[in-house]
Amino acid sequence: MGLMDFPERHRPIGRPPVFGWRGLVAYTALLALMSAALYLIFIFAPAERVQGDVQRLLYGHVSTAWLAFLSFGIVGISGIIFLWNKDTRWDSLAVAAAEIGVVFTTVTLVTGSIWGRSIWNAWWAWDPRLTTTIVLWFIYVAYLILRTYIDDISVRRRVAAIFGVFGFVDVPIVWFSVQWWRSLHPVQTITQAGGGMPREMLATLLMTLVAFTVFFFIVLRQRYLLERASEEGDDLRAAVHRQLDVSVAAADTSVPEGRT
Amino acid sequence: MTAPNLAASTAGAEPPAIDVRQLTAGFHRHPVLRDVALTVQPGERVALLGPNGAGKTTLLRTLATLQQPLRGTVQVFDTDIVRHRREARRMIGYLGHTPHVIGHLTTRENLDFLASIYGIASPEARTSEVLEIVGLSRVERRTARELSRGQLQRLALAAATLHTPRVLLLDEPNAALDRDGARLLSGMLGSLCPGAAIIVSTHDHCVATEICERRATVDAGRLTQEAPRDQAARPSQPQPPSAVHLPFFNSSWAILRKDALVEWRAREQGPPLLAFTLLMAILFDIAFVSPAATDTPSVAAGVAWATLLLAASLSGVRLFGSERDQDTMTRLRLAPIDQSAVFLAKYALLALHVLIVGIVQLAVLSVLLDLQLLQWGVLATLGLVTMSLSAITAMQSALVLNSRAREVLMPLLAVPLAIPVMLAGIGATLETLQGSWVPGAAPWLGLLAVTAAVFLSLALLLYPQAIET
Repeated sequence: MGLMDFPERHRPIGRPPVFGWRGLVAYTALLALMSAALYLIFIFAPAERVQGDVQRLLYGHVSTAWLAFLSFGIVGISGIIFLWNKDTRWDSLAVAAAEIGVVFTTVTLVTGSIWGRSIWNAWWAWDPRLTTTIVLWFIYVAYLILRTYIDDISVRRRVAAIFGVFGFVDVPIVWFSVQWWRSLHPVQTITQAGGGMPREMLATLLMTLVAFTVFFFIVLRQRYLLERASEEGDDLRAAVHRQLDVSVAAADTSVPEGRT
Repeated sequence: MTAPNLAASTAGAEPPAIDVRQLTAGFHRHPVLRDVALTVQPGERVALLGPNGAGKTTLLRTLATLQQPLRGTVQVFDTDIVRHRREARRMIGYLGHTPHVIGHLTTRENLDFLASIYGIASPEARTSEVLEIVGLSRVERRTARELSRGQLQRLALAAATLHTPRVLLLDEPNAALDRDGARLLSGMLGSLCPGAAIIVSTHDHCVATEICERRATVDAGRLTQEAPRDQAARPSQPQPPSAVHLPFFNSSWAILRKDALVEWRAREQGPPLLAFTLLMAILFDIAFVSPAATDTPSVAAGVAWATLLLAASLSGVRLFGSERDQDTMTRLRLAPIDQSAVFLAKYALLALHVLIVGIVQLAVLSVLLDLQLLQWGVLATLGLVTMSLSAITAMQSALVLNSRAREVLMPLLAVPLAIPVMLAGIGATLETLQGSWVPGAAPWLGLLAVTAAVFLSLALLLYPQAIET
């Protein structure tokens, strides 16, 4: 009895990188990269001749879009690994990636929409990329909602992983279908920047990509650790409840004629 | 096949019928049983006693392979119930708190269905014999819905013992039996599966003494058992279990036949789905077509496939939901069949529903919109759309089985996944209506075929994991 019944992982899990020298390095690097990216986007890069300053949105837009797709890839692959080896850390990673992915997808859709409004004069168009992105957004919002509707945690993990795999497999199918859909019914095509980007723009884009990617992985790690900590909290709470149950049961048996 | 049970019994001392070692079982974070050890010899009958919530049901469900042990091992005649689950299921019979029988089938049909999925050799004879023993021969043509509580319990007992299990697990079997229940039960058990090792959980000490020779008590997650009494007096001639491993498609076929029969009797899906289809056709006709109809083929294609998706999603919720409502999923999970075969049967049933809805929808739209929709190109599209949609929705139905608010979640999960199917369906239909079937619609049909194949194989692969609890 006693402490023996508590979960084995009672030591604190890894400290978030905001503390300690690793955190210092990570956040300093992030700050430097982000400042550099902002400088390049707003000051260094030339304004696009046709689109004007609105085009500057695209540096962040492309970065968040790439990271959105990356996070959904992480959800799918973590799901496959989780179903394979049942290690719950992969499930925590999948949750973290799905949440961040939905946020990045939302940012992508919003920035794209603002850009589209000033260039195409429309908030929305059924372009293959847009359509694929919005479908993905729905799939991963559904993934997050599904998780909250299942009470039993081991069922929740398995079911979420399976749905994650389905969503992952659906991505190329969605992509092909919308691609053909447009090519068969051409309504509007994106004006391609064409003829290669100026070197300044390319450098800016690459810098922004790097900065956002570093940001993504730091947030992913934080969210992952939060998920682990929250699970551990639930484990500990359950262990305390078990202890209480045992004490209550022990008190019960001291009452004579307790049961038949 | 690594099934050492028969070899071991001839070699030397017979292995114990049930051998539980250091078993921790229950739910994640709430282990109900801890470090339980229990050995039951062949032919032995053990009473499982203990207060409410002590873990009796958890122990029996774990032994019955319905719940995964968190730690420890359970062997049935030297067969590990986790690693060789199907092999173990052949030897185990389980009677739970609910009868797990299908309300719309008759007493005999319920047993016939089980006989078919257990692959019992001479099903007619065995069913008659079992019905005779439990005293239900007179009501064998009555549907299970019409039986009394006590009769249902007898039917459940018959269902649990139909395949002559070597290990029988009974969870409070006398709950709904008559006053004489205990003695009656004792007699029935002797004839239903002679020589089987039996664990009976009960609150009733009379039952314990009447049926069992030994007691084990569960309290606060720990188990204490009396020493075995008389080693020699036990009859150790258990009959071999009559269940065999049924080939994959045979089990699917048996389940599909059962489901079709139930649907035919209950008419739970057909009429509402057809009404829904007609309403959709009329609604969209009003909304889109009159008075300024511009692009009728597009409307027709969009309406037809969107309705099909909604119908599949509606029907899909009931696919596994109806099994769950009657708690008959448990019966399927206890059977020694490949669980993916269950999925295949459900998939086929859903596809059948969707196909019928689709044909009706196309016919109605042809009339309303004055289009020739019932032509080969569109029908081929219908077939492929049906196959893909059914694969997606049937799997989502299994996924939401253990969730809250299944009906609300279902379209949320299925619709985004099905968007490419919609696009391909509409694309193929439009091409066909414009008369370019071969060059135009062919890539769409190809995409649909690939989608159907990918989702169906993924679902067959992952379904067994989706229904574990």
